Amino acid sequence: MIETALNERSTDNHVREDRVFESGNPRTRLSAPRSVLARERAQIARAMLADCRFCAHDCGVNRLAGPNGLCHAGAKARFFSAQTEVSDELELVPTFAVALSGCDLRCDFCITGASSWNPHAGAGFDAGAVAAKARAALQNGARTIMVLGGEPTVHLPAALELVSLLPETAKLVWKTNAHGSAQARELLDGLFDVWLADFKFGNDVCAQRLAKVPGYVRVVEENLLWAAGHSELIVRHLLMPGHVECCWRPVAEWLAANLSGVKVNLRSGFWPAWHAARHAELRRTVSTPQSDRAIALARQFGLNLIP
Amino acid sequence: MKKRPTQKGFKSPGENQVSELLILPDGRILVHNLTQPFAELLAELNPDCEQIASRSSCRTEVKADVTQTTFALLRRGQSRIIRP
Repeated sequence: MIETALNERSTDNHVREDRVFESGNPRTRLSAPRSVLARERAQIARAMLADCRFCAHDCGVNRLAGPNGLCHAGAKARFFSAQTEVSDELELVPTFAVALSGCDLRCDFCITGASSWNPHAGAGFDAGAVAAKARAALQNGARTIMVLGGEPTVHLPAALELVSLLPETAKLVWKTNAHGSAQARELLDGLFDVWLADFKFGNDVCAQRLAKVPGYVRVVEENLLWAAGHSELIVRHLLMPGHVECCWRPVAEWLAANLSGVKVNLRSGFWPAWHAARHAELRRTVSTPQSDRAIALARQFGLNLIP
Repeated sequence: MKKRPTQKGFKSPGENQVSELLILPDGRILVHNLTQPFAELLAELNPDCEQIASRSSCRTEVKADVTQTTFALLRRGQSRIIRP
């Protein structure tokens, strides 16, 4: 019954009717104000928690009844950080970054592991209060508003509610692990100006070992291809010590072959945080030779690296 | 339904500006969640670092919240900044 009800309320028709592509511009143009669409979609997303399939784990659990999925998140979102930062891509900063607690991946090296693995961390998310802070940040010079986590896909209803309360002209950034589902993409379509997406692992073996996620590469590639056609896309890769050849090389090669010219931010500041020590090669930072090798590979594949 | 106990002294996210940094033995400093006041401080300490200079020049009106302890640590070395 739940599935039928959800299908009747499916976002498909609603969202697709809104999608109009301008010539030469991959960004989805909305036929109604962003705030209005976001509010409607937030309601739809909240109902979809009854059969949650926001991420590629595709749990299908009822989160309205409690935290039953792999992310351990219930229906209510929490957040552990909301402040203006300047450490992201230069073209996006200063950004007012809102970090929602909880994630669907279990990256042992996660720099915010304590909050990202725990959807109960931080404080209850009040979209109105956070939106007020975001508007103040914009007035004080912030260039963008970034929604991240953890993984914000886990808390789509809250993220969409926040969007519904933000100025129409605000430049919004969706910072994601790119492990979301097609359902999540439909709900997000056209609402965010920039998708800032991680491509962490270049193969499924490393992804399974370090983040306990199966079938990672195919899911991320699918999401990146979609994002490139529906918004501006920036791909991030956090270089990990000892993973230049197994992870960065295939990522770089795939990006060159499939998303030629896409903006790529290669980040070399790996920080052996959280449970990184569980893996011998992750107990250190990235050495200068490894970093240099990674940059050389990027040049070899003709990637469009951005600071 | 049982209520969660209130954490004494707990502040909601966003009430304070927080940056984290990791100082490595070779003099490198890794910075996480870099705020502008902190970026300005780092730029003063190492004006030659292009990465930090470009970020410290972003203008927002936020109050600095940097401790003396952190400042003292940073003064010890000429460091380059790497963003995780």
